[in-house]
Amino acid sequence: MPILTDKRIQKGLSILENFQDSKLLTHLNSCVHCGLCAETCLYYLTFKDPRFIPAQKVDFISSIYKRYCTFIGRNVPFLVNARDLNEENLKEMVDLFFGACTMCGRCTLHCSIGVDIAYLVRTGRVMLAEMGLIPSSIQSTVDAAINTGNNMGITTEEFTDTIQWLEDDLKDDLNDPNASIPLNEKGKKILYTLNPREPKFFPLSISAMAKIFHVAGESWTLSTEMYDVTNYGFFTGSRGEASTIVQHLYDEMKNLGSQELILAECGHGSRAFRWEGPNYLHKNFDFTVKTSVELMADYLREGRIKVNKKSLKQRVTLHDPCNLVRNGGVIQEQRFILDQIADDFVEMTPHGIDNYCCGGGGGQLAMSEYNERRMKIGGKKAEQIRNTGAQIVVTPCHNCVDQLLQINSYYKLDVQIKTLAEVVADALIV
Amino acid sequence: MSWYLVLTFVSLAFCLAMCAYHAYRLIALGNPSDFSKPSGNVGAGIKYSYTGGMDPRKKESAFLHLPTYTAGILYHLGTFFSIVLFVCILFSLRLPSVVTMLLTAFLAVSSICGAGILIKRIVKNTLRKLSNPDDYISNLLVTSFQLITAVYLNFPTPVYYILVSALLLYLPAGKLKHVIYFFAARYHLGLFFGYRGVWPPKN
Repeated sequence: MPILTDKRIQKGLSILENFQDSKLLTHLNSCVHCGLCAETCLYYLTFKDPRFIPAQKVDFISSIYKRYCTFIGRNVPFLVNARDLNEENLKEMVDLFFGACTMCGRCTLHCSIGVDIAYLVRTGRVMLAEMGLIPSSIQSTVDAAINTGNNMGITTEEFTDTIQWLEDDLKDDLNDPNASIPLNEKGKKILYTLNPREPKFFPLSISAMAKIFHVAGESWTLSTEMYDVTNYGFFTGSRGEASTIVQHLYDEMKNLGSQELILAECGHGSRAFRWEGPNYLHKNFDFTVKTSVELMADYLREGRIKVNKKSLKQRVTLHDPCNLVRNGGVIQEQRFILDQIADDFVEMTPHGIDNYCCGGGGGQLAMSEYNERRMKIGGKKAEQIRNTGAQIVVTPCHNCVDQLLQINSYYKLDVQIKTLAEVVADALIV
Repeated sequence: MSWYLVLTFVSLAFCLAMCAYHAYRLIALGNPSDFSKPSGNVGAGIKYSYTGGMDPRKKESAFLHLPTYTAGILYHLGTFFSIVLFVCILFSLRLPSVVTMLLTAFLAVSSICGAGILIKRIVKNTLRKLSNPDDYISNLLVTSFQLITAVYLNFPTPVYYILVSALLLYLPAGKLKHVIYFFAARYHLGLFFGYRGVWPPKN
């Protein structure tokens, strides 16, 4: 832990002292410590550790607020358990806010009062970021994104090569020499983004989307300069770095002159650009921002693509990514798509906006120091999947895919994990 | 005017002024500015936050904890009735004896609920770890308020005014100020989920 100077502490406290609006003030003052949120949280459900109760996380940040920003907390701190911002408390804060919360927001939905607990945890991360206390593992992901243009540090040459062989495959697959994966083409209607996991580990999901674009007759392009949909700055709480990443994508959109930015299947990436991006940059975007899930649903509704109805015969279930669904409002589109393709579709219990996080959210996949916890909290998702009896789990999020693949192996589920684009591409009538 | 009535009026004025200050501060700070393009209906989201979003069948904090939830509802109803009765008492409004009897019985039940919640907080390890003195004081004050109201309806005593004054003086400082912040929290939740098209649920 870096040396705690007064200046550093003051930077953290400034987040709690300067309210931009009434939201933070409201949520800092609303928790009544009923503790009824405990069972909504994967961490508490798994470990039964009282430290992990969401209300404890709320108490941590609000007690610091009370200590430094309220009359009672300054003068009678024991009355409200007002905490000092010292080394011991900061250590605990890092562990709770980075290592014991995916910011999935399930507790928020079920809170008896309506405290936005995930928002408070995120605010806590912003404080820690201001004080230079971001875990180095997740910070390195952000650094890679800023320094190389993508969070995996893939070189342009490597990326271009991958796209080239994918394009060759696509031509063969479609038996069409005109099939292509356009790169850096100006004036195309759509600029499509990717999760860097795709070119690195799951290139077939790029082919899947390219096939869909081809069949839909879409005008689209990828960019070699900035294609990364992810934004781990959103998770670290570093507003400056999150803004830089959003700005890169915004600039590339302007550079290529596209009208629509289509965000690949990535829960947090879509949230970070679509919902938080304009606020990071303090401006309205003058182009359409949409997720690929919504785009595929639109294609189907408009008849631009057709699929073999009920062609997927194995039992299918759907995992709802928290940032896309509960925090992003994309809820029915993926169900509309699967309803057409899957012959035997089963929902998890619970699902939709009430879903459980897979355990990989909130940047957990990028923080190796919490791997053991992450796999353990994934047990709830494993149980949900097992209960459906499904053979295929579809999820419109590459981050979730990664965690679900690991859960699949760790809990011996013996299921296939697929993105929505892969399922659609397989069922496409060409 | 007796000294305890003066104390009560002063406490009430202080409490109202402080609550007004909290409310004013929230209103003055306003809504978060949001540059993203909404995909839902904010008004409907806020309405849902105060209605369907609080449906106990949809909240694990309610349906997984039905005894506590029920006790909490009765306890809050008891507080509401006690406040109404406080106004009646302050302005010497007389209630029919049957109403007095029913309210006495209800306040006895709601006080027991309050005491039950307090005992749970003391006994349950996870809850005890979450609690601070403010949690205990707040509960004690409100439970006593309900109990003394029930007593006062049948046997008027100056102790009532002293207890109510203590409650009024303490309310704006501790967690009891959620009387204001609860509504603000529901508002912000409705705003957030409504803006993004999450609330009201689409199916």
